[in-house]
Amino acid sequence: MLRDESREAWADMSIKTFACMFLFITLAAANPCDAPAATIALLKNAGACMGCHNAKDMFIVFGNKEKMSVTVSERAFSNTVHAALNCTDCHRTISLEGHPGKVIGSKNAFLREASAACRSCHSDDKVKAKPHHAYMAERADTPPCTECHGSHGVLSVARWKATLRGHEYCLTCHSRTISKTVGTSERLSLRIDQADQTSSVHNKHDCSDCHTEYTADTHPVKTFADARTRSIVISGVCAKCHEDKHTAVRGSMHYNLSFRVGETLVSRGRPEAPVCTDCHGFHTVGAKETYETLSGIPCRKCHENIFAIYAKSVHGMAKARGEHRAPLCASCHFAHEINFTAMSDKIKAACLGCHEGIEAVHGRWLPNAELHLAAVACAACHAPSTEKGIYLQLIDEKTGRPVPVDQMLQVLGITGEELSGQLDAHGQGLDSYELAYLLRRLNLKGAGAKISFLGKMDVMKYSEAHQLSLKKYAVRKCEDCHSPASNFFKKVTLAVVKTDGGIDRYRTQTDVLKSIFLTESSKQFYALGGTRIAFLDWAGIFIVFCGLMFPVVHVTLRIFTAPVRRAKKADEAEKGKKS
Amino acid sequence: MKKVFLQPMTVRIWHWVNALSFFVLVATGVQIRYRDIPNLATFKTSVDLHNFFGFLLIADFLLWFAFYVFTGKIRVYVPLNPKKFIVGALRQMRYYGYGMMIGEKDPHHATPEEKFNPLQQSAYFMVMLILMPLQVVSGILLWDIRMFAGWIAMLGGLRVVDIVHVVAFFLLTAFLFVHVYLTTLGRTPLAHIKAMFTGYEEVEENE
Repeated sequence: MLRDESREAWADMSIKTFACMFLFITLAAANPCDAPAATIALLKNAGACMGCHNAKDMFIVFGNKEKMSVTVSERAFSNTVHAALNCTDCHRTISLEGHPGKVIGSKNAFLREASAACRSCHSDDKVKAKPHHAYMAERADTPPCTECHGSHGVLSVARWKATLRGHEYCLTCHSRTISKTVGTSERLSLRIDQADQTSSVHNKHDCSDCHTEYTADTHPVKTFADARTRSIVISGVCAKCHEDKHTAVRGSMHYNLSFRVGETLVSRGRPEAPVCTDCHGFHTVGAKETYETLSGIPCRKCHENIFAIYAKSVHGMAKARGEHRAPLCASCHFAHEINFTAMSDKIKAACLGCHEGIEAVHGRWLPNAELHLAAVACAACHAPSTEKGIYLQLIDEKTGRPVPVDQMLQVLGITGEELSGQLDAHGQGLDSYELAYLLRRLNLKGAGAKISFLGKMDVMKYSEAHQLSLKKYAVRKCEDCHSPASNFFKKVTLAVVKTDGGIDRYRTQTDVLKSIFLTESSKQFYALGGTRIAFLDWAGIFIVFCGLMFPVVHVTLRIFTAPVRRAKKADEAEKGKKS
Repeated sequence: MKKVFLQPMTVRIWHWVNALSFFVLVATGVQIRYRDIPNLATFKTSVDLHNFFGFLLIADFLLWFAFYVFTGKIRVYVPLNPKKFIVGALRQMRYYGYGMMIGEKDPHHATPEEKFNPLQQSAYFMVMLILMPLQVVSGILLWDIRMFAGWIAMLGGLRVVDIVHVVAFFLLTAFLFVHVYLTTLGRTPLAHIKAMFTGYEEVEENE
């Protein structure tokens, strides 16, 4: 009985082995790369492999104990672009004799070995012709082909693409840990977290909506000096949909200070100035309400010193307490149209935007409240421990607008350097003669413009303007301003507005506001007690002295001439007696 | 001696209200302008008092102006006869500068129609019809510079209006010393002052 069973088993094994060997020899004889579609029947010869590998619970254990399923769905495989191939066309080292053969060290080694077979049909030249392959073909750490294309489910490229929605095609590679080198050594991750992309407000967009030069068919190779330059250039694409915001940014100081978005190179200035992606992120662009911008984190990157001051302010402390309405950077400076605030009403408008009706509140105790609010910056009073000063600004009386430095240079016919040299040539601050002379030249040579000085009381360091304090600490005593001894009058600065909105400051001597030479030219700035003209004081002393001296001199003369009158009276009395 | 009725009740009320206002306005004006010299009241108190007495002075000035215009007495301030004015002024100057020293009689005899001697007439003309209106107008403009911004700009700007107000202030303050001194130059040192309370001034029978 045992002998019969053994004989049957041996016969059965011999038949199977023979059949397998025959199939392997047949399959190996065929050239897979040249296999026409008509040879699909040959796949039936893979039945020997599929006889086992169609089972669901087949695994291979690698040398490093990694475990991998080796199940192959015959049905799925028959639908792939490789359906005409035999198993050994790719798994060339596998034979029935030694199957499963040597123990492979790891899954990765196995996949690399299997992927190497792809190159026998897909030559390097053909592979590199595809730009997205070109990046990786020469690299030592190039992922195996199966990493992206799969192993037994490889579809034709056309069919494969048809199954993928826009960004899914890109994410086939970019959801993986891939990176590139920019510049000389900077590594730039190209991995996109699909979860980020899905939760983004841009999740309905295809990658190529922003990365316009990249499609399923085109993948240009781009080089950048560094990752920052790349970010700046890529941010330019936001304008495609967000033109209004982009226009605002184009007018902002950040834009003017740093670069021109959309140019291929950072053309000037400071590339660390923020672009769209610095605040909004790249693929994580959230709903407006959730912007990290409001946390000020992007601003902090460059303006850390402001945050240190802000943290101690009434607003900063309120924010720290969790009061969401407390303002942060964008609340006052706005998000996109960020610009210089010196010599402008932008910040005041922001203050009044939240502190509604504050003009009326000031009006309850402050005479001429509207006028005070126009001439005095909020921070000048509400940041009490700051250094104060007065800014004199050149104003075109006809337009009410500041005269920018470019206009000054044009009218004066000099260069910026010459102007700087002329203003405060002696290094002791501009005196009243120099200011008056400057104004006279501007008005003589100006094309019909009537230029004069407008004064504004403000903090001297704009960073300190963030140090806003509680109301009870604000300047409230009139004497704090309306006195020549006031801190405001200790520093007077000529502020010339630059074309980009910034200001050039020129120190002036503190007594310029008391000069009679500037009476007419600074007629728009007047602060009781603080701008009194020194010459007028001396004239007043003289006039009042004369008034006082009239009775003094007259009385003195009367005293000295009293004997004359007494003598005359006596003489008249004598004459009266005689008569 | 005889009593002449020189100062009607309206004039006397105007005068003392004017004197009080003047005194407070000078004091508070100094306090506002020269914050760093005396420190008798806060800036705000000084401004508030200055505004209050400023308007009191304006009302008083209008009372004075209306009284003198409607009674026709305004002519006592106006030298209608230039020749007579010049001769009288020179004579009065001689008196104050020389005649008074040697015991001469005052050449001017006060009557209700010619209350002031030519020098007084020209001084009060300057004070009441030029300096006071200037001071009143500039003061009103400075009181609310926003409301009167157009007027201020037309007059050359805030600092120009301020200069007018301050120069008038200096001149009026100087005049105050002269005015008070001249009140002592009556028949007796207190004769003029007493007259401004009673309305009557004692003059000699032969005057």
